Amino acid sequence: MQILNDTVALALEAFSGLGAQIYSARAVKSRRNEFNVDGGRFSLFRTTLDTALTLQAIKDHKRGVVSGNSFDEKAVRMAAADCLASAEAGQADPAWDMAESGGGTFEEGPYEPDMDKLFARTREMLEAIKKEYPKIMVEQLIVSHVQADSVYENSKGVRYTAKSGRYEADIMFSGHEGDKSSSFNGGGFRTASLEEPFLELGSLRKLLEDAQNQIHTTPAPGKGEGAVVFTPECLGSILYELAGNYVSDAVLIDGTSQWKDKLGQQVADPALTLRLAPGDERIVSGEKYTEEGYRSEDFALIEKGVLKQFLLSDYAARKTGHTRAPNTSYALVVEPGEKPLQDIIASIKKGLLVGRYSGGAAGANGEFSGVAKNAFMIEDGKVTFAVSETMIAGNLAGMLNQLIGISKETVQDGTSVLPWLAVNGITISGQ
Amino acid sequence: MIPDIAGKLRNHFAPGAHSELRAQRSLTRRVTMLQGNLTRNARTDSQGVSARVYQGGVYGFASQAELSGAAAKRALKTATDNARFLDGHAGYNLGALPDIASGAMAPQENFTDLPQKHYLDFLRPLDAYISGKYPDLASRSLVAYADSMEKQLITSDGYASHILAPRSYIYIFLNSQTDSGMPIEIFKTYGGSGTFDLRFKAPEDLYPEVDRLYEHLMKKREGVFAQAGKKTVILHGELAGMLAHEAVGHTVEADLVIGGSVAGPMLNEMVASPLVSMTDFAHSAFGGEAPLPVYVDDEGVLAEDAELIRNGRLTGYMVNRELGRHFSMRPQGNARAFAFNDEPLIRMRNTAVHPGLDKFEDMIASVEDGYYLISSNNGQADTTGEFMFGISLGYEIKNGRLGRAIFDTTISGIAFDMLKTVDRVSDRVNWSSSGFCGKKQPMPVGLGGPDLRCEVMIGGK
Repeated sequence: MQILNDTVALALEAFSGLGAQIYSARAVKSRRNEFNVDGGRFSLFRTTLDTALTLQAIKDHKRGVVSGNSFDEKAVRMAAADCLASAEAGQADPAWDMAESGGGTFEEGPYEPDMDKLFARTREMLEAIKKEYPKIMVEQLIVSHVQADSVYENSKGVRYTAKSGRYEADIMFSGHEGDKSSSFNGGGFRTASLEEPFLELGSLRKLLEDAQNQIHTTPAPGKGEGAVVFTPECLGSILYELAGNYVSDAVLIDGTSQWKDKLGQQVADPALTLRLAPGDERIVSGEKYTEEGYRSEDFALIEKGVLKQFLLSDYAARKTGHTRAPNTSYALVVEPGEKPLQDIIASIKKGLLVGRYSGGAAGANGEFSGVAKNAFMIEDGKVTFAVSETMIAGNLAGMLNQLIGISKETVQDGTSVLPWLAVNGITISGQ
Repeated sequence: MIPDIAGKLRNHFAPGAHSELRAQRSLTRRVTMLQGNLTRNARTDSQGVSARVYQGGVYGFASQAELSGAAAKRALKTATDNARFLDGHAGYNLGALPDIASGAMAPQENFTDLPQKHYLDFLRPLDAYISGKYPDLASRSLVAYADSMEKQLITSDGYASHILAPRSYIYIFLNSQTDSGMPIEIFKTYGGSGTFDLRFKAPEDLYPEVDRLYEHLMKKREGVFAQAGKKTVILHGELAGMLAHEAVGHTVEADLVIGGSVAGPMLNEMVASPLVSMTDFAHSAFGGEAPLPVYVDDEGVLAEDAELIRNGRLTGYMVNRELGRHFSMRPQGNARAFAFNDEPLIRMRNTAVHPGLDKFEDMIASVEDGYYLISSNNGQADTTGEFMFGISLGYEIKNGRLGRAIFDTTISGIAFDMLKTVDRVSDRVNWSSSGFCGKKQPMPVGLGGPDLRCEVMIGGK
């Protein structure tokens, strides 16, 4: 931590000497220890020691940002000068500023890794997959321990220090039988402990089981409007798309968001409550402070269907006259519903259960169309067969008002807490 | 240029273990103007050393965020320890990798790292031109972007190299809306390899490009939704290149073949129309330099072209040294690492469908009822070869003539089925190189191809 304190102090002193008016420095030191498994076998043990320094300077309302990874005194001084020169070359905008209050010290998670145990848990997972899911081929598995220290300080006296450790994994796999195979699917988790077998974390078992059942596929019959049940994994990516389209900096600054005048209004079914909650106890190593120097706080983006907040940076908030988002994480927590998933599926006459969406970026109008991947047909309340070459199309905002239900089950993988969510009014095109 | 760090440490390699040592510096410069607001004005500089050691069938890798001989020695020691740990725990006991040709490439020329002011001064008049000439736009956004990789590599066997690879781009996004209030967007990327000042001489040079883009936007304003279903289309070379990369290229990366890709059982089989040939080019293609040339990869392999499809037949995979041994294929320079702290992975370089003999105009005239699809805003494919591309610019073709523009839509299909429907291939090639391929790490790649006439599923209302 001392080198981080020294580097930040050096950068701030350099800025002060150069005549910057408002400035900040954030220094990070991290170590990653990682096992890679490729094609089902161990392939690599990787250790990376990384440093990062992010400098921001504002002078006469002009802002520059420089990032580097050298803590060498000469390099830090050069980076500060480069940052200020970038700012001076820019254009004045009174919306640039930095946090005036806040601060804190944080420490969490297993700081030092147990590599022998991490290896043992990884091998145990591979062996369990081989035994219990014999049709699965593991394309890639990456398990890591990440240790990180950071220090942030700005010229207004805001200062944070944080120290953390965590384990995480990402896996990609597909189901195989003879020459037939499923689409790839993947999952992962983040955890503070190695106590539980990895296969029991997140939704890995469900994903593996689904992949085995998705080897033999048929295109959905014909074309028509139907229901879609998004799995928690798919819901995360759909909500990410939604955020970019309706509540992010770019679309609110340029005024193309169709929700720009909807703050405080109903934008979704009252059953939907969506929070960004890095402080939730189910989120591992959640964001503690933002890169703008604010303490991260949980907040509701949509509460009972009402749009409560835009996902705006400090700059964009000033630009648009709204409030900034209280955190900049993507720790999604969607409140569960009352009904079990099975009951929701039982209420659907015709539709799809979609595990992954592969689609073009939705247009500014929210219209999307793409391929339903890792998907099953739902007919007369039952999941019947796996589909391929089937497209879905709809409107991101529109579908939130055509909610069928939200499951009471959720998947918690350490990065988000998400249920299954079913909507009507989606165009399903098969063959 | 980074000083000679790696070259001095060759004698620190452990005897008998294949070893690599790389010193690397990566720079990015980015300026974003959104509606005339300078929303991003940022520079990054990332540098360090890494080492990778092969032992018993597994690799150990380590990196240090410092460009020094001492850091390189520490990385080499940790990489050796990691290889020992994993070899001891995994116990595969595989032998050494087959030998490769060894030598040294002459260092490439240094380049000028431009100050941020240069990018800002270029973008401002361009933005003023757009806002002045087209005040009716709903919004506009401009990005000036440049990045570079400098790599110094030595390996226990193979080629030593010191490469510098800068590239520079400008992105222009224009937004409008239809009479019914539906927002529409169009964008285009300009640029390629080389530094920004050499690639872009004056903002005025781009004004005609802006005018063309605006014309497309106005046509899209009057556009229609594409009709969903299987359609005959002419894919512009941008999309043919995307298809070559996303839907075919990834399935023939040997690590994904091992992982169960659809191409595994298809080697030497017909996978496309006989009109289709496809190559992952190393540094030269079709009589010129490829957009992002690679001369030596990060395993020290001298780069050469990797032929993937010849006249419709799948002829090869892209391999690294280890999987070259597995498949009895010669490594051709596909092992590439993104940042100093990344290990080399099997990556494409400049992947393209070869041009054919057809004239583009004749191809359009040959379609009675279909679409001409020009640009994409997104593309994905998986190891089954099923692909999806978002289409951001396209036109109807009716009775052999271009018709109305279409709104954003999506096309999809199974690559090796779709490629069998290709029945005309144009004689012109379009290259693009601004994107990053995403695998475990990002990687700049070039992709290209001619116009293709084929059948695909198109999404829509």
